[in-house]
Amino acid sequence: MASETLALDTIAQGTRPIADRLHAWVVTVDHKRLGILYIIYGLVFLVIGGIEATIIRIQLIVPHNHFVSPQVFNRMFTMHGTTMIFFVIMPILFGFGTYLIPLAIGTRDMAFPRLNAFSFWLTAFGGALLYFSFIGGNGLYGAGNAPDVGWFAYAPLTSRAFSPGHSTDFWTLGLLVSGFGSIGTAVNFVTTILCMRCPGMTLGKMPLLAWLNLIMGGMVILAISPLTAAQIMLSIDRYLGGHFFDTQAGGSAVLWMHFFWIFGHPEVYILVIPAFAFASEIIPVFSRKPIFGYPVMVAATICIGFISFSVWAHHMFTVGMSSYGNTFFTMTTMIIAVPTGIKIFNWIGTMWGGKIQFKAPMLFCIGFLFQFLIAGLTGIMLGASPFNWQLGNSYFVVAHFHYVIVGAILFTIFGAFYYWFPKMSGRMYSETLAKWHFWLFFIGFHLTFDFMHIPGILGMPRRIYTYEPGRGWEIWNLIVTVGVIFQIAGVLVFVFNVLRSLVKGGTAGNDPWDAWTLEWSTSSPPPEYNFAKIPAVRSRRPLWDIKHPEDPDWKYE
Amino acid sequence: MVTTISRPETPQVMPDTVKLPAPTAWPIILAFGIALLFAGLVTSASVSILGAILFVTGCVGWFRDVLPHEKEETVEVKPEVTVIATSRREVERLPIAPDLPRALLPLETYPVSAGIKGGLAGSVAMAVLACLYGFLKQRSIWYPINLLAATGYAQSLKIGTAWLDGFHLGSFSLALAIHLFTSLLVGLLYGAMLPMFPRRPIFLGGIVAPILWTGLLHSILGLINPLLDERIDWPWFIASQFAFGIVAGLVVARLAPVRTRQLVPFLMRAGIEAPGWTKEKPGKDEPR
Repeated sequence: MASETLALDTIAQGTRPIADRLHAWVVTVDHKRLGILYIIYGLVFLVIGGIEATIIRIQLIVPHNHFVSPQVFNRMFTMHGTTMIFFVIMPILFGFGTYLIPLAIGTRDMAFPRLNAFSFWLTAFGGALLYFSFIGGNGLYGAGNAPDVGWFAYAPLTSRAFSPGHSTDFWTLGLLVSGFGSIGTAVNFVTTILCMRCPGMTLGKMPLLAWLNLIMGGMVILAISPLTAAQIMLSIDRYLGGHFFDTQAGGSAVLWMHFFWIFGHPEVYILVIPAFAFASEIIPVFSRKPIFGYPVMVAATICIGFISFSVWAHHMFTVGMSSYGNTFFTMTTMIIAVPTGIKIFNWIGTMWGGKIQFKAPMLFCIGFLFQFLIAGLTGIMLGASPFNWQLGNSYFVVAHFHYVIVGAILFTIFGAFYYWFPKMSGRMYSETLAKWHFWLFFIGFHLTFDFMHIPGILGMPRRIYTYEPGRGWEIWNLIVTVGVIFQIAGVLVFVFNVLRSLVKGGTAGNDPWDAWTLEWSTSSPPPEYNFAKIPAVRSRRPLWDIKHPEDPDWKYE
Repeated sequence: MVTTISRPETPQVMPDTVKLPAPTAWPIILAFGIALLFAGLVTSASVSILGAILFVTGCVGWFRDVLPHEKEETVEVKPEVTVIATSRREVERLPIAPDLPRALLPLETYPVSAGIKGGLAGSVAMAVLACLYGFLKQRSIWYPINLLAATGYAQSLKIGTAWLDGFHLGSFSLALAIHLFTSLLVGLLYGAMLPMFPRRPIFLGGIVAPILWTGLLHSILGLINPLLDERIDWPWFIASQFAFGIVAGLVVARLAPVRTRQLVPFLMRAGIEAPGWTKEKPGKDEPR
């Protein structure tokens, strides 16, 4: 039946053959189903990337450990980094965007529904291609060999002399294919948000979720292109006799670094801006106040979007750039802290004086706020080139970016998951289990990544296979690995909570949080057509206007 | 007790059916074809050939899906009454101002220009006190002026007391410029902070600002002016800061506060008169 809902599909359609049900998911062009596919895909890879991280941490738990060979260790950190960035965080964020954007702006689907499906499947096959390297890395005739060149694959490690076989090719082609998918998704986001907003929703009345995904979409289009170009150039180097990155023949290894990081640093913001969007939706609802400084939040994010394209070489301070280069990239890195700081103040301003409800989504967002602040501070430290010369490529850097990726982005993803789970599934999750998840993950995160800074300061380089005892690194590495146990426990609680809630969770209703944006005006889960009648809005909080006709927002905006 | 107020949406005329894009397998076939096309580069040519076939098939199928007309499916609309409800407690509102249901605080504040005027007046008070210090302690009103001007000298620590006591036109001009520029900036900052403490401008200017400013200078004076840092008389310096702040606060307090205008469009706040752009706001109950 047309109005069957998504999550209850699986129950209501229990009589249908499983092949039919799977077929319906495979051929779908519905943005909600594709969003869920993205999210499930990302969660599966989260488990895989998590296993790889665990192997790395077990290897480093004590000195002179030989849990895995050096070759396997190299593959693990390469695959962990690549997987987490390209096949966990990006797909999950795209998934939330794909699911939520049409609902948030009051339309029935994305601008290009078939392109939406095509983009998802490209991303999915890109990941499959990368992981096929485990069995096909040396060509189908040799032993398996996954990429081992690190997630940013610096030249000349990627040249055929140092990377024989096909492991690097699978890395290149996997990212190339998924990159096409990312560009398709970004084009869809930008077009949908610019062209398909419901009547009355001017740019100034758009939810921040839509605004920030619009900015993110624009950044993806600009940032993925250099990476795609670099991947093609690398393939030309490896198979068609090109010398772009071959220093022996007049090429430049540093050129690869520039290409990679002009993608790589905006990529950090591509990942964190949707996380900002989640926080900007969740914090007001659980503080029972509208977002503080909406126009400034938008302006700050636009600033971040622009400035993030001018900071890439702060990843290359240790390469040995000119003093002008060092000065320029130090200054731009410092400058980007300003709009970022404004956003933090605005979130705190939103909470200030609010009637805060410490539900799981809010807990994860509060965790995000403090952790992102610390990540920003260590980022400023590393952005100062003299400091970077001391600690570049050390575990301090590893701790810093995990503070961003895990402490900021993954925390808000978990918050978003709990916030929109009732909408997506029609079921309420267990708040108790969600809080267990938060506290276990929070403790695990801080055990791992707080203490990871210290061996970095003590000189422990990143990607080191093992180490000598007596350097003062042992206790810190032990604590760091113990933290992983807590994180795994937290994720297991999360998985159990999700599965249990899908079966036994109470009915959510269309608006369990007493929220204000359009997605909460439709049933949970939403019908295929989202809205039987396209809504018209008059303010940034259309549901508030309906709930409080005596005091609507539109009188004040 | 929490009261739930349910407000059923006004009954609307709903369509019976909605047209949505029809499900299709061509996107996955095309994506799989592209993946195989690339995978064949590092496995076998036959994989690429299969990928190319799927690619072409996928493209053709996709085109036929959307040309000449997009394939759509008709979906029945489920009749349902959407209830938009809030769990907020319903409370009695104090009738403070019937036409102002939401408080926009502060209602009145001082403009930024008031801070700048205060800063300029404070700069005079500070200069008088500094010269008084020079006269009483060093028998020369030029002494503090030369000390201030030392910010611009690369070798300031080599300057002796005799030189500091004399009048030097260049030094005087430099000190005057530094003093006026800094006073303007501090006044501007003061003006920007005024909305935070609109009811106590003298407290902000006379107590809070001097403490913050003195603390900031104490920590960085050695970098920006080593000579002044070496010879500074902190009690007099702090007194001059307070003189600056109190006078600035008094000047601001004598000016008339203006109503805050958060709801006024940006163009009007910026003072741009563009009748086509700056629309009249509709009445409070009138829909926009």
